[in-house]
Amino acid sequence: MKADTLPRLLLENYQKYGANKVAMRRKDLGLWYEYTWKDSYESVKYFFYGLLSLGLKPQDKVAIIGENDPEWYWAEYAAQAAHAIPFGIFVDSHHEELKYYLEHSDSTFVVAHDQEQTDKCLGLIDELPKLKKIIYWDPKGLWTYDDPRIIYFYEVLKLGKEYEKTHRGLFEEMVEKTKEDDIACFCYTSGTTGLPKAAMLSHSCIVETARNWFAIDPWYPTDEYLSYLPPAWAAEQFLGITGGMLSAITVNFPERAETVQENMREIGPQIVFYSSRLWESTASLVQAKITDTIKIKRFLYNLFIPIGNKVADMRFDKEKPNLLWRGLRFLGEWVLYRPLRDKIGMRDIRYGYSSGAAISPEMIRLFHALGVNLKSLYGLSETGINVIGRDENFSPDVTGNALPNSEVKVNEDGEIIIRSKSMLKGYYKNPAAYEEKVKDGWFHTGDFGYIDEKNRLTVIDRIEDMRELKTGTKFSPQFTEIRLRFSPYIRDGLTLGGKDRDFVSAIININFENMGKWAEARHIAYTTFVDLSQKEQVYDLILQYIQRVNKVLPEGARIKKFVNLHKEFDADEAELTRSRKIRRSFVEERYANLINAIYSDMDQIVVDAPVTYRDGRTGVIKTAVSIKKVPEV
Amino acid sequence: MEKILRVNHIDLSFGGVQVLMDISFEMEERSIYAIIGPNGAGKTSLVNCINGFYRPQKGEIYYKGHQINKLPSHKIAKLGVGRTFQQIELYTGLTTVENLLAGRHILFKSGMAAGALYFGKARREEVEHRKAVEEIIDLLEMEHIRDEVVGNLSYGLRKRVELGRALAMEPKLLVLDEPMAGMNVEEKEDMVRFVLDIYDLKGTSILLIEHDMGVVMDISHTVVVLDFGIKIAEGTPSEIVKNPEVIKAYLGTKGTKGA
Repeated sequence: MKADTLPRLLLENYQKYGANKVAMRRKDLGLWYEYTWKDSYESVKYFFYGLLSLGLKPQDKVAIIGENDPEWYWAEYAAQAAHAIPFGIFVDSHHEELKYYLEHSDSTFVVAHDQEQTDKCLGLIDELPKLKKIIYWDPKGLWTYDDPRIIYFYEVLKLGKEYEKTHRGLFEEMVEKTKEDDIACFCYTSGTTGLPKAAMLSHSCIVETARNWFAIDPWYPTDEYLSYLPPAWAAEQFLGITGGMLSAITVNFPERAETVQENMREIGPQIVFYSSRLWESTASLVQAKITDTIKIKRFLYNLFIPIGNKVADMRFDKEKPNLLWRGLRFLGEWVLYRPLRDKIGMRDIRYGYSSGAAISPEMIRLFHALGVNLKSLYGLSETGINVIGRDENFSPDVTGNALPNSEVKVNEDGEIIIRSKSMLKGYYKNPAAYEEKVKDGWFHTGDFGYIDEKNRLTVIDRIEDMRELKTGTKFSPQFTEIRLRFSPYIRDGLTLGGKDRDFVSAIININFENMGKWAEARHIAYTTFVDLSQKEQVYDLILQYIQRVNKVLPEGARIKKFVNLHKEFDADEAELTRSRKIRRSFVEERYANLINAIYSDMDQIVVDAPVTYRDGRTGVIKTAVSIKKVPEV
Repeated sequence: MEKILRVNHIDLSFGGVQVLMDISFEMEERSIYAIIGPNGAGKTSLVNCINGFYRPQKGEIYYKGHQINKLPSHKIAKLGVGRTFQQIELYTGLTTVENLLAGRHILFKSGMAAGALYFGKARREEVEHRKAVEEIIDLLEMEHIRDEVVGNLSYGLRKRVELGRALAMEPKLLVLDEPMAGMNVEEKEDMVRFVLDIYDLKGTSILLIEHDMGVVMDISHTVVVLDFGIKIAEGTPSEIVKNPEVIKAYLGTKGTKGA
């Protein structure tokens, strides 16, 4: 019988590969340590027994909060083997968020990474009567804690070894009994609207997603993957945790969040999944470093990038490049593209995936020029991965075709609806939300898009974010914003406009590092972000860029006025979600005075913005922000 | 039980300038001891006497019962007294790892010839020392700057490497001269956490010169206050903060709230 639950797949991989293949690698103390399938299997098995000995029951929820490490994965697999339900929590969750997750889920165990996460949980444990134990896997700083409610991961393994002696064979028995309809994990959705909901995903949901994906883009056991995406995010569930188990690739864990770039270069993975923001900042980084580097490298870049772009365009248009272009590209591969890819850790990449929000076509083209097969993905925590760009009919302007076993349609309102075998079983303790989203078996995504004659989906924006001006012109803020972000000097842009407004305007967050370098190169002195953002020269630079973007927008959607905001949007101040999407309604309310000023005749406004500092104190910043008109070019 | 450090009636002067006058105090093993005082009070001079950079004209200093005030500073270091400096003393042309390995110098047993030829024993020793250095890198969260040349690092990170360098020699007594100077709130919190981690993990005794009263109050067991070269108070943080002499020295004669 085909193995279709994660624990059974683990058993299968263990029987097939044993100690002969590396399942995971972790970098510690400067060296890469390897764990074979046998090592992984045993860790999962003993953690399973350890959890049982501490009182874990079937259907219990196990929260896991920490950065990517083998222990994170092992905890999930072990919980599943015990017929319990694991789920991830973002590591930068603060007090209220953490309390909500732990309370709402009725968690009985928390597997916490380190002192920071353990401290947070200890601060809440008295308010959470169901919580039995906090299990930590990085003991740094916890040596002197003597609270009986916390216990070291490797102590639990020891307990597990003891427990096995009196319960031989229980692990294999319970693994065999796992069924594809068992809930494999919860995925809390990102909550841009309202409190996060817990999507309940069964084994069949996630394994199906991986299987259908590999039918289009196969992964081979020899592939390498770097696990750095927060496992609390559904993407990593589908990719590393499930896809990794199904395809038996080697999953590598970085040393620390700060060393991910370096570790990418060391591993050179075949499969890379970046959020669209991360692709953007990688491109930004490349562009910024090119402006900083020696003349000859700049020369080669400026010479070969257009060639790469041309060849990429030819491929997109299904035009076979002739011998001249193929030759030039071959030359470019060895002179520029390959060394440059090596610098960003993508020398041997086979698939580059982007998801989370839309990505600009220029971005896709740039990466294809460099030899990165970058394609978009579309899917939701609730429905799995449903749409992938196909090599045979690839175009940077569309998202892609539906995967096998996924049906994707657009209804009369222009909303994308999905029906797939990998759909959620429901929302935990929230059947009303399920009724709202799933009608006649179709999940209503809340995204706006359209399907072309080749059955390719293009995702434009969230429906609720599509805007209409007083003039009746409809525009998609996101469409404009992703094009704004393509500039290395713009970190974020928020386009504004509504039924009571005549034109579109924008609030820009400059990219402090890149803009700073630009200013220094021109001997423009500046002190803080506030100071830099308000400089005349900076405004002029941004103005020119906005004019470029305006050229590709329909007349009514063009930006007529803009401001450089005096501060960056911040997730800690709830202006962004944890996955760095702007929370529009919140931000528009908070900056209402500024927005009113933009739509008036003022060319400057003094702003009072409340801020929350890193140590929890609140304060107010007062500064004058300039408002600039964007003339037609 | 022998105190880890005993400073006994020391006087220090440079020509006509009296820098320290009759300073005495004792430090218990496994404790955190803070020296505070206004600028120019003689704190760094006191600590320089402990390390053997200055020779007091009168009095003695005992480390674990040994008299050390007449010893050269490298011998004092060998006994187990580590030190960080206000002006960071690192090799700016070397990387973080290389600086830390240099800090292990006194613990290397192989001689120059063995090191040059790099036979079995020398190689094994090198690996051991590299492991010890990596553990410090892990403790102080410096993986991402491991191979970065120190000259390219920011001030806050350099201070961290400096702390690592002092740790590398496995000191029993660690003397920190304003380890948090020039840092923002977040960097300070990290630094305090590292100091406490070192204290918890290795049981090192820590002698700390510090201006940030919050830090001093939070982590020290005993505080000694200097002003114009004289010890004006000694006690627990809560005693010191109420001491009228201390208040006068720092803030003049107007009253103040306790911390």
